[in-house]
Order: sequence, then C-alpha cells, then structure tokens
Amino acid sequence: MKTGDAFEPKQMSEDLKASLPDVYVDDLLMTLKYFIDEEEAHLWIKEHDICTRCEHKPCLYFCPVGVYTLGSDGRIQVAHQSCVECGSCRVACPYTNIGWVLPRGGFGVAYKFG
Amino acid sequence: MSNERIEFDAVVVGAGLAGSAAAMVMAREGLNVALIERGGKPGAKNYFGGAIYTHAIADVLPDYKERKPPFERPVTEAGFWFLSETGLTRMTVQGGALDTDPVDAYITLRAKFDEWWAEQAREAGAFLIPKTTVVDFIRGEDGAVLGVITDRPKGEVYAPVVIVCEGVNNLLTQKLGLIDRDLEPAQMALAFKQVIALDPKIINSRFGFSGEDQGLAVSVLGDVSLGLPGMGFVYTNKGSISVGLGVMLDVLAEYRLRPYDILQRYLQHPAIAPLVEGGQLLEYGAHLIPEGGYSAMPKLYTDGAMIAGDAAAMVNALHWEGTNMAIIAGKLAAETAIEAHSRGDFSQRVTSRYEDRLKEGFILKDLKQYRGFSRFLETHPQFMDVYPNFVNDAIGQFFTAYGKPKKELFKGMLGGLTDRRSLIKATGDIISMARSVLGW
Repeated sequence: MKTGDAFEPKQMSEDLKASLPDVYVDDLLMTLKYFIDEEEAHLWIKEHDICTRCEHKPCLYFCPVGVYTLGSDGRIQVAHQSCVECGSCRVACPYTNIGWVLPRGGFGVAYKFG
Repeated sequence: MSNERIEFDAVVVGAGLAGSAAAMVMAREGLNVALIERGGKPGAKNYFGGAIYTHAIADVLPDYKERKPPFERPVTEAGFWFLSETGLTRMTVQGGALDTDPVDAYITLRAKFDEWWAEQAREAGAFLIPKTTVVDFIRGEDGAVLGVITDRPKGEVYAPVVIVCEGVNNLLTQKLGLIDRDLEPAQMALAFKQVIALDPKIINSRFGFSGEDQGLAVSVLGDVSLGLPGMGFVYTNKGSISVGLGVMLDVLAEYRLRPYDILQRYLQHPAIAPLVEGGQLLEYGAHLIPEGGYSAMPKLYTDGAMIAGDAAAMVNALHWEGTNMAIIAGKLAAETAIEAHSRGDFSQRVTSRYEDRLKEGFILKDLKQYRGFSRFLETHPQFMDVYPNFVNDAIGQFFTAYGKPKKELFKGMLGGLTDRRSLIKATGDIISMARSVLGW
C-alpha cells in the first residue's frame, strides 16, 4: 500500500460494488459490551490539517466498527467509545495520523464470546 | 510496604494463549510469576475463528481433559468451501485423518477459553493481575529489561525476566527495539465475524451432525471476499455458529470497503443464508491477524525479555495455525526463563536459547517453510475468483444432463477455465502455490 500523498484507491467493478449491502453498523455494535473510559481517549487525530488534506480518507471505510466519520464541519470525528482495539487505523492510515494507545487497564471492549 | 518495590521472579504481559501457558509452566517450577492482563478478565480482548489444537494444550497441561476446558464442538469435519456468485462446492473431510483420540482440535470461543486457561495458570501458582495495562519497561543502564511499568499508580513491577505476549499490536516489542519498523497493512489480515445463536438441534440438522459431539471448521474461498485476497470461515459452536472472514488490510484500505458490508454480503449468499436463517446475532467483533510470516517476525529475545504469540507474528495463515504456536512458544519461553533463573543469567546468552528451542520444534521450521505464502493470495488473485468459479461451474455441469454429447460438454468445462486463465498459467499457479507452501 502506498502511503502519504501517494496513496491511491483501487476500483472494483460496478457490479461488485452494487452487490454490497449497506449495513447500519450501530446494529452490530449493540451486541458489544464496553467499559468506557470517560476521562481519557485512547484514539485521537494527531493533526486535523493532515486529514483535511487526505483526499481519499480510507479510515471512513476500513474501520470494522465505524469509529471514523466525517463531521458536518468536514473534520474527521473519532467515536473512540466504539473501538474494538484491533489496531487497523494505527497501521493503515496513509499518513499514520491516528494516535493509538491501549485503553487504560479494564477499559475498552469486553468480548463475551470471542 | 509503601517503599518496598513490587518484585517477582518473572512477569508475563498478556493472559492470552501464550501468556497463560508461559505463566503456568514457570509457576509450576516454583517461580513467583505475575501475569498481567489489560482486560477486565482474560479473554476480554480476544476474538478469533476458531479452533484450538489439543496437541498444544496437552503439551502444557497433560491432564487438561479432567480440568474441563470450555470447548465448543470438536472438529470432526474440516476443509474448503468454494463459493461462486450463487454456487457452493464443498471439499471437506470427515473421519479418516480427523478421527483421532484425543480429537485434534476443538472449536472454541475465546472469552470463555482464555479465562479458563488463565485459571489453570493461577491454580499452578501464578499471580493474575487483571485490568492493568503495561505501558513500558524498566531498563537497566545497559538496557537490560528489569521489569515493567503499568498504568497503575506506582505501577512498576520488577522481574529479571519478562515474557511479552502482548498480541498483534506489538507496541512493547517495538519499544524494546526488537523490530525496526511498525506493522504494515500488507502484512495484516483484518478478520471480522458474527457469532450467531441457533438451537443446537437446528445446527445438527443444517450441518448433518448426529449430535453436539460433531462440528465443522471450513475455510471459504471465492465470492466470500469479492474475489479479493482474503478467506472466509465457518465454525460450528454448540449453540451458535461463527461466520466471518479475513481480508488483507491494505486491500480493505485501497478498495475503501466496509468490513461489515462484506460480511453481510457473505451472510446473504444463497448458499450461506439458509445456514444462519432465524439465528440471533450474539456478538460482532474484529481482530487483526499478523500474516506477514517469517520475514515479519521480530527478534525474539533480548536481555531480560522474550516475545511469544501474535506479537512475534507466529501465524501460519493457510493452515489456521497460530493458537498452537502461541501456546508452545509461551511454554518454550517459560522453560528458557527457568533456565535463566537456574543459571542466574538473564542476558541474551540464555534468553537466546528460546530461539534455539523454537528451531528444534515445528514453529520456526513451519514459519520458515511458509515464508512465501504470506503474499501468495495477493499475487495470485485467481485463487479468489477464477478457480472457485471454475470448480463450481465444472462440477455443476458434470452432473447436469444437458442432452448434449459428453465430449462437447467436457470441452465446454475446460473452456470454462481456459477462457479465464490459460492452462499454462493455471499450471504455473499450482506450481507457485506448491513452492510457497513447500518453501522452495
């Protein structure tokens, strides 16, 4: 994967794209148990200017729980409360512009089945 | 007490499969072991397919059966399913090589299993410290690891040897300088799944089982990943089934795909939907798998520390192995820590023996042999589209009476492949698949 300004999205056929359902991720998140840390966010955008410059914003898609959304002000919003701590955004943000640490002990997702 | 420092003979970071195995082995030898887990309880952060192999459990805990592990169903049927857009061809085995005593693998849910596994370490004498995140190491002037720093107030825990089983997000391994770069998206598969509740009797009838002592574990190729580098899976638990897939992270990013959309599409496939119909979603989740293989592994030891499990990229993606490597590696690191204590030397002179132990067993041998496979699916996308489609079409046509001469039909079947990929290229694909697996 090319990073930084060299990041280039790939296109799949229109048929395949059309075959993807539009899932409302909150329906899935309802099944998850979280211990939410009200004091500290373990995810953050390092520099919002970089996100503004980022043309393709893949984080809006690949995050498996939809933590990243685009606010009406055009800024990336981070719903860190929904994070399952997979680490994808930490390594796949083309600009490595996402701050990522482990939640404090006991906080974050708590899988019941796994 | 307030001025006394907290000190153990060994610290293990992470009560997953590798960590609890390491703690169990060391505690049994009389070492005073702290097993530090960031979750509220062990297993809270873990999510996998998946199956656990009994050879590895028995290696650490020979009497595991009497200790009633919370297994789901044994794997009595395993293999591949090939999905085309509407078709499904199954290639699975039951009985035969799978018919072993004890059963080779059990389907498992990690929240329950890891809690039990850590409990075995605790019973052996390890001190479990949950709800505690390790953020850094205590280092000596020479850089040797002397313990860990946790996020608790006055959270320093000293130990002459630390076994790092932190999982796929190897931040601590990076802090030790054992790997010179961060993980790369092309080395990672993002796996995501749904656990779907179904009555055990319905599972039995849908999957053709005579009872809960039968279970299925399959890898699913083809339409499941939209033809992109990735693989689906189905595992039958007792009263639920686990359905999900893993797709390379760089692919998800580049195609800007939402994992949950892909999973939903898979669940709606005409051959999959009847299997999950009427089921209730119990849990959705996601986890990264370090599929970079041998070349993505960090150095496995330093002065006073060793790395095991996902943090060390110990995964053989093609064979679904990783849990067994984690358990065995945890044990081998523990044996090395015990040796270090008996020699009173925690430097690399002794911790390097961990790598020697890994080389003697199957882990490093397999990872080295399969080093070419990690990029195989990405360089050979035809295994995700051309071949699964061909298999479905060919077998479908073979058993369809068209009222045409068979010669014509077979020609058409072969044409179904050669239209998509020339025979020379197909032969080349098979050879390069073999090379990547055999390590030539």
